[in-house]
Order: sequence, then structure tokens, then C-alpha cells
Amino acid sequence: MGFYTSIEVSASGLSAERLAMDTIANNIANVNTTRTAEGGPFKRQLVVYAQKNAPTASADGAGDGGGDAASGAGVQVVGIVNDQTPDRLVYDPGHPDADANGYVHMPNVDVVKEMVDMMAASRAYEANVTAIQESRSIDGSTLGLLKA
Amino acid sequence: MGDFLFGRTVGMLKDAMDGAGATHGAIANNIANVNTPNFRRTDVSFKDALAAVDGPPASGDDLPLVTTSALDIPLAGAYDPADFKITTTVDQTQQMRLDGSNVDVDQEMAKLSLNSGYAQTMGQLLQNQYTRIRAAIEEHF
Repeated sequence: MGFYTSIEVSASGLSAERLAMDTIANNIANVNTTRTAEGGPFKRQLVVYAQKNAPTASADGAGDGGGDAASGAGVQVVGIVNDQTPDRLVYDPGHPDADANGYVHMPNVDVVKEMVDMMAASRAYEANVTAIQESRSIDGSTLGLLKA
Repeated sequence: MGDFLFGRTVGMLKDAMDGAGATHGAIANNIANVNTPNFRRTDVSFKDALAAVDGPPASGDDLPLVTTSALDIPLAGAYDPADFKITTTVDQTQQMRLDGSNVDVDQEMAKLSLNSGYAQTMGQLLQNQYTRIRAAIEEHF
């Protein structure tokens, strides 16, 4: 695991968190959307994170000693899935999308929850940025050896 | 070549920086996976291996005898210098979060900063060592 590899690892974290923030922004933007191409109200979307290159080290913790194989290659978003919780029902008989009983199926988006998720993604993004900054400062001190 | 011109210091500092690099990669990976459910953090250990390369510390006035080749005849009290080896382990300890991950981002950031300081210290020491070697080569300061 070289220093440049670790920047790539952190960069994978940056893109995953940014995609999460984009998805959350889309959820918030569509908090009142009752019509979609698939029909019905908008469904809240969630990103699914997965580890890139799962460790090859065995479960008993014995590494291969190379330091390369086992520490993983970062994170990736393997999919964006719809939240399956039921729609929010709002009684509004005058709404053009109201059902026979006068209820409108609104998206299952909870803005407060989205804001909390947004903060979590944002903090994780910052943590990855800090890791890149540390990478660069270590790189700098290594390159400084050439000036010795 | 390494030993007679540069001594053992350069080799050890190189191993230490290799270890710090591997540690940094593992911590960066843990931080990148901070939101991955069921993720298991990885740990890198190399400091015990680094100490074993140099062998047991000298006791009193005795310098320890080292076998440096397979053809050496070991005397009493001599030891084989161990090869430097970086070990990466997957931390299987109890999860601390609802999503099954055992990454604590605060702990990882602390380790990141600690490791970065360690790597820079080793870099500085290596630089000082090269400055001394250069002084010896150039015969002036």
C-alpha cells in the first residue's frame, strides 16, 4: 500500500459520500412530488455502500504480511435503492392525485431524517478530505528526503 | 551495500516508513468505509516486527552477536535477525454501531494523525541521517 494508493482509497470515499449527498438532495427536492415516470409518488432513495476488494486475510486475523492485500481498496456505492416504507398519506380531497377517500399519497421522505443523513455524509466527506491532507503531508516529508 | 556505507539506521527508518505507509492505507480504508454496513476495520502492526529486526537490546557492556548469513556459526547468545514483516489484521471485535460496523471515526482520525506524525518523524530522522552521511562524504560542514 503506497501513499498514492491511500489517496485513491480516500478519493473513493469522497465520491461515495458525494453521491450520497446528491441522492439526499434529490430526496429533499422531491419531498412533495406525487407524480413520477413509474407512476405514484416519489420514493425515497438510499445509497448502498460496499467495501471495494474485500480483505483476503482469514477470519482468524492472520494477514499475508505483505500489507497490500488485506487493507482493502476503499468503498464503492453498489446501488441506489428505493425505500420500501409506506407512502405518507395526506388528506386533501381537492388535490388532483387524491384517491377515492380523499387521501393523497405523498413521498415517504422525512426532511428531518434527510438532513441528519446529509450531515453524516458531509462529516464522512470531511474525514476523507483530512485523510488525503495527511497523505499529502507524509508524501511531502518523504519527497523532502531528496533535498537532504 | 546498505550496512557498510549507511549503517543499519537507514534500513530501519525505511522499514518504519514502509510500516507507516501501510498503516496510513489501512486507516484511509477504514475512514472511506465509515458508512459501509457490517464493515470490519483493518489494523496494521509492524512495530514489534521492527524491534525484532534489531534483536534483543544489549545488556550492560555486552554487544549482542548477530548472524548475518546462513554460513555464520552462531555463538552462544547470538540471534538471527528476523525479517521485517508488516502484518495486516481484520479487527473482528464487537461491533459498536447499529449497522454492524466497528469503525469509530474519532478513533480513526486520532490514529491517522498519530501515524502521520510518526511518518514525518521517521522522514526527518532519515533526512538527518543523510545529512550526516553527506557531511562525511564532502569532508566539510
